[in-house]
Amino acid sequence: MKMKVYVNHIPVDVLPGMKVKHALMKVGLLKEIEGSKKVYDEWGNEVGLDGALSEGMKIYIRTMNNE
Amino acid sequence: MKRLKIALCFVFFFTLAICSAYGGQSEIRILHVNDFHGFAEPYKPLGSDEMLGGIAYLAGKVDELRKEKPSLLFSAGDMIQGNNWANLSQGESVIELMNEMGFDAMVLGNHEFDFGQDVLRKRISEAKFPVLGANVEGLGNLKPYIIKNLKGVKVGIIGVVTEDVPISTHPRNVAGLKFMSPIDTVEKYIAELKNKADLIIILSHIGYPVDRILAERVKGIDVIVGGHSHTKIEKPVKVRNTIIVQAWEHAKVLGVLDLTVEDGKIIGFEGRLEEIKPKIGKEDKAAFTIVEKYKQKVNAVLNERVGEAEVDLDGENVRRRETNLGNLIADIMRHASGADVTIINGGGIRTSIKKGEIRVKDIYSVSPFDNYIVAIKLTGKQIREALEYGVSAVEEEEGRFPQVSGLSFKYSPSTKRGSRVQEVLIAGKPIDPDQEYIVATNDFLAAGGDGYKAFGEAIKTSKDFSIIGGMMKGEKLAYSDSGRWLRDVVVDYLKEMRRIAPKVESRIIEVH
Repeated sequence: MKMKVYVNHIPVDVLPGMKVKHALMKVGLLKEIEGSKKVYDEWGNEVGLDGALSEGMKIYIRTMNNE
Repeated sequence: MKRLKIALCFVFFFTLAICSAYGGQSEIRILHVNDFHGFAEPYKPLGSDEMLGGIAYLAGKVDELRKEKPSLLFSAGDMIQGNNWANLSQGESVIELMNEMGFDAMVLGNHEFDFGQDVLRKRISEAKFPVLGANVEGLGNLKPYIIKNLKGVKVGIIGVVTEDVPISTHPRNVAGLKFMSPIDTVEKYIAELKNKADLIIILSHIGYPVDRILAERVKGIDVIVGGHSHTKIEKPVKVRNTIIVQAWEHAKVLGVLDLTVEDGKIIGFEGRLEEIKPKIGKEDKAAFTIVEKYKQKVNAVLNERVGEAEVDLDGENVRRRETNLGNLIADIMRHASGADVTIINGGGIRTSIKKGEIRVKDIYSVSPFDNYIVAIKLTGKQIREALEYGVSAVEEEEGRFPQVSGLSFKYSPSTKRGSRVQEVLIAGKPIDPDQEYIVATNDFLAAGGDGYKAFGEAIKTSKDFSIIGGMMKGEKLAYSDSGRWLRDVVVDYLKEMRRIAPKVESRIIEVH
């Protein structure tokens, strides 16, 4: 149940129940979302900051232009 | 002759109707939302200049799209908790709205459990639509599945929620309940529905990555309408023979999936997300009325008197010294979590409260963030490091300055950063660097917010977490209640205590 997720390939340990925003906070990237960047999953879908994480999940922060 | 023509017409249309229902093609529409979290009003999402959402506008779009085709309206969970509009009526507002909108079914999300089982049972009893939870045992009034007949097509709908519910809500909310594997549960009910339904739809609150695994492993699922991961799936995805859809979050979009069905099989599909924006005249009037009604109720609750402060509560100086308001909140968190000590960031306390009556809105102003309490086991050494970090920018009055409970310490602001903390006492005794203590904090600091690293390091070194008897146990995690905001814990405490007079009592001593 211990959870490891990846933000822009950086491994992050999170507590069960923590969300996308917590993972971004852990790598100091939450502020990026205040600009033009958004969070995407490994299949290219945008995900919300309150989205649930799951073990091994890979998320990426990038600008909308890179979609 | 005229009679003959009428008879022929009758035979023609009757045959057409029969063919359409049984042998021909049917066009049906699935409308879906997920992770609404009570966001009834439009808002500007972080990083956006545009207002999005608004449940009355989403309801207006549902009305419009329903006129075009026979439709089913589903929710994939997490509807009743989140925003004040939902929380302050414990989700009653949301169920009234969903009844008005004519939902056909919803599956429970993990946050549906956040107000406790009694409230959840009441909400389910108020719902005029079936609430599904095939993999939940012990709640009573849940259905594992339903079958809807839509234009002659029998649609079996099974609902499953993440089995991680016990680790995302307070243990008391799930006491006595059992959450089984969604994958095993779906397999079981597909076998049961095999001869009863033409199509199988899964309402899933397990998250998109797990939906994909479900689609890969279990045969016989036609459509997964998902939630939990707040994923914006712009176009339906097909994994093996299963179509997967999910409609982001907070009613910012409405999911639309059109299916062409022939002889009980999907022969074509097309889907999209309809963006929801506030456009005057496009709202559903009845939904709008419900939104306004509960907005007024929210205002009434915010004005409710919950207690009285016998002294001024200082939220101004929380970034430079111990304050009585900092002590009060830290004490409440320690009490709620059963921790040995509390360490929070002063920056999380946003304003003061004057001596006199305290209203709910005062507490919401002091603690406006959607933060929740967690408690993590830290060694004495890690606690000292956290305190050292906390006082390292006192000159700049940064938000990291700590407010504490259960411990006291001395520090010298004139000493170089990193070696300012001197004596640390826990329960009156010198801190033991090797002993573990349970430390309550908020999820923001636990995730490394304001630059705190001690909690993250403890999590990193922790062995596995597991659910034992409905309780989350972990080597380092002692408490987590992600479904209840800190401000609501403080409100409940004040309602119980009524009169408070917290003091500054030398928990943080500045020495030179």
